[in-house]
Amino acid sequence: MSLMPFAPSRPLSIGVELELQLLGCNDYNLAPSAPEILRRVAKRTHPGEIKPEMTRSMIEINTSVQQEYAGLVTELRALRDVVSEAGCFLNVAVAGGGTHPFQHWSEQKIFDAPRFHYLSELYGYLAKQFTIFGQHVHIGCPGPDEALHLMHMLSRYIPHFIALSASSPFVQGHDTGFASARLNSVFSFPLSGRAPFVLRWNDFEKFFAKMTGTGVVESMKDFYWDIRPKPEFGTIEVRVCDTPLTVEIAASIACYIQAMSRYIMVEQRMAPEEDDYLVYTFNRFQACRFGLEGVFIDPRTHQQRSIREDIMEMLEHISDHARELHAVEAMERIREILIVGNGTSWQRRAYASEHNLADVMQLQAELWMGN
Amino acid sequence: MTWSDYLPAWPLQISPALWLALTLVVAVLLGEAMVRHLRLPRIVGYIGIGVVLGPGGLGFIPQLPVNEWRLVVDLALGILLFELGSKVNLRWLKANPWLAGTSLLEAITTFAVVFSVLVWVNVTSTAAAIVATIAIATSPAIIVRTVTESRAQGQVTDRLLLMTALNTIYAVIFHKLAVAVMHGQAGTSFVHTIFAPLYLLGGSALLAWLFGITFERIHHHLGQHEETFSFILFGMIAFATIMASTLRLSPILVLLAAGLITRYQRKHTRTFPPHFGSAGAVLVVLMFIANGLAADLRGLRDGFLLVLLLIVVRIIAKLLAVLPLATHSGIGWRQAISLGIALVPMSSVALLLTMDTAIDFPEFAFGLGMVLMNWIVILELAGPVLVQVALRRAGETPEKKT
Repeated sequence: MSLMPFAPSRPLSIGVELELQLLGCNDYNLAPSAPEILRRVAKRTHPGEIKPEMTRSMIEINTSVQQEYAGLVTELRALRDVVSEAGCFLNVAVAGGGTHPFQHWSEQKIFDAPRFHYLSELYGYLAKQFTIFGQHVHIGCPGPDEALHLMHMLSRYIPHFIALSASSPFVQGHDTGFASARLNSVFSFPLSGRAPFVLRWNDFEKFFAKMTGTGVVESMKDFYWDIRPKPEFGTIEVRVCDTPLTVEIAASIACYIQAMSRYIMVEQRMAPEEDDYLVYTFNRFQACRFGLEGVFIDPRTHQQRSIREDIMEMLEHISDHARELHAVEAMERIREILIVGNGTSWQRRAYASEHNLADVMQLQAELWMGN
Repeated sequence: MTWSDYLPAWPLQISPALWLALTLVVAVLLGEAMVRHLRLPRIVGYIGIGVVLGPGGLGFIPQLPVNEWRLVVDLALGILLFELGSKVNLRWLKANPWLAGTSLLEAITTFAVVFSVLVWVNVTSTAAAIVATIAIATSPAIIVRTVTESRAQGQVTDRLLLMTALNTIYAVIFHKLAVAVMHGQAGTSFVHTIFAPLYLLGGSALLAWLFGITFERIHHHLGQHEETFSFILFGMIAFATIMASTLRLSPILVLLAAGLITRYQRKHTRTFPPHFGSAGAVLVVLMFIANGLAADLRGLRDGFLLVLLLIVVRIIAKLLAVLPLATHSGIGWRQAISLGIALVPMSSVALLLTMDTAIDFPEFAFGLGMVLMNWIVILELAGPVLVQVALRRAGETPEKKT
């Protein structure tokens, strides 16, 4: 199968996908209720899409193509409300967050669809370990070469997105010490990591053809890269974020990426270099492990500072672009995260006061469902 | 000093308790064998061993003193009822009124069908009503135990717990009313006919409410120490159960309502070990053995056809009654069928209600009481299997059994 042609899309349009946790209302463990939730929401009119995911205790909400923060957040709220209503109707709580703090992977049930069964066969327990919840952000690109350019330039800022969205400190009943432990599960997939350093779409097509030729992959879906092009949408897809604890934060992070993309396309005009990737895994690890406190090494200047400081500086650079995109409110929220902390610090605070991960999950679900 | 000072007298004086202890060991071993080789629920083994070894079977274990085993059954049932109540979220009924509809429909259909069959075989309508109210209840003991054991989770499980709690409440309330009517017919004065059920229901509700607020207070201070708290809870359950019997209230209603109230009021999640610790778990196992021991299948030869008919119509009633509102309430046909099947078990609650009736009306014990006893024994043995199969077919048990 060859790669699809890169579809046209409106530059800087945005779309958000959020994977959500479905929880039982007694113990706040994951509950395999996706089929019932999906059946229920199918009867409601709602914007965007609500879809099944790998295991039966997750669902995914997708927005339609949006241009700016206001529309995006309105649509995400509408989707959240539809899913929350279905949850109440079925005694199921819905929550954000990148991992479930105490679920056991072996108890997860694969959603009954051919692709999920295939993946489950292929990856074995990894598929169930993959009961993790991420936010994917699509950014519209004027053309395929521009998409590859944007992808490589955004790679430098992957730690920003990880640190801002991080909300998965707890795994299998314990504090891992990581801000985003979710990404550790992604890294165990053979085709995770970053896209190859190619800047022309026809080179990318050659790479893809070689990969399919080896029989390792069949489609773009088989690559679990941090950022990957999505030719059928005409977008690049940033996949490193944990699902944040509220839709407002999810929308703000999406708009932060959007504003940064505008800055890269319109103002920065720097060519990506392969050596930018020398610090890539180090920076990414720092973000996963320490969140906003992580060390960030600038690939060009080799200067070291905290991720928080780097985001602070970026907010200065992109403020005009954010204004242009009507994303001022989103930038305020980003600034707020730098001050009060990300989802992970909220979860750790909740655990410190409740002493019980089930209570943390209950609060997390209440926060998400907005009551 | 002589031999007899320190050697036991021969033949040995063996207390029934020793047999019971030995039965516990054998029953648990049998339960394990059931799980490993036959993939059947453990409680079938517990009840089965009681049936086989008890006075109604091979007679290895003599009739137990009624008061002692009644205490074990009351306590264990108290634990299971409280556990059931604390797993049921009454707010769900508000969010999904179709559930309340399903529950009422299921109870009414069960009552109507059992009542009609009994009237058809020439049972007096009051006695038929008493039996029909007992038939409404799904066994909380079997449901809680099987759900815990199979680690089931999902819509069918949640609904099963909710509907079992509700139909147990209906059964107790309407049973008391039917008994009051029977008393009225037997010539009890009108004041007592009215006041007896009022006292029982009102008093039980009050005791449950007191339990609920005390629970909340203590949990507020001790909630973090899960184990310590479950010891206290154990004591509270025992206290409430015995208190309810002492005041001649309904321990079933008190403990179930107490569980529901604490769940309704709770602000924090609570996870307790199953049956609130190992002492509770042992009591639960003993209760199932005791239920088996109490089984008396002697009347089965005469009443076999009637028992079979009643079992079949009750299953059909429960099954058909959950179907019409299933899709409105948000589950599919397949799940609804599983739910209907899982509502079939009868056990301790029905047994206690039958025995209470028999105490009031001795003639009941020999006629319909016998039919009910046989009916209960059969559904006690078959019930756990039905629940397990239903939950497995609904896809709510873990995929690989460990």
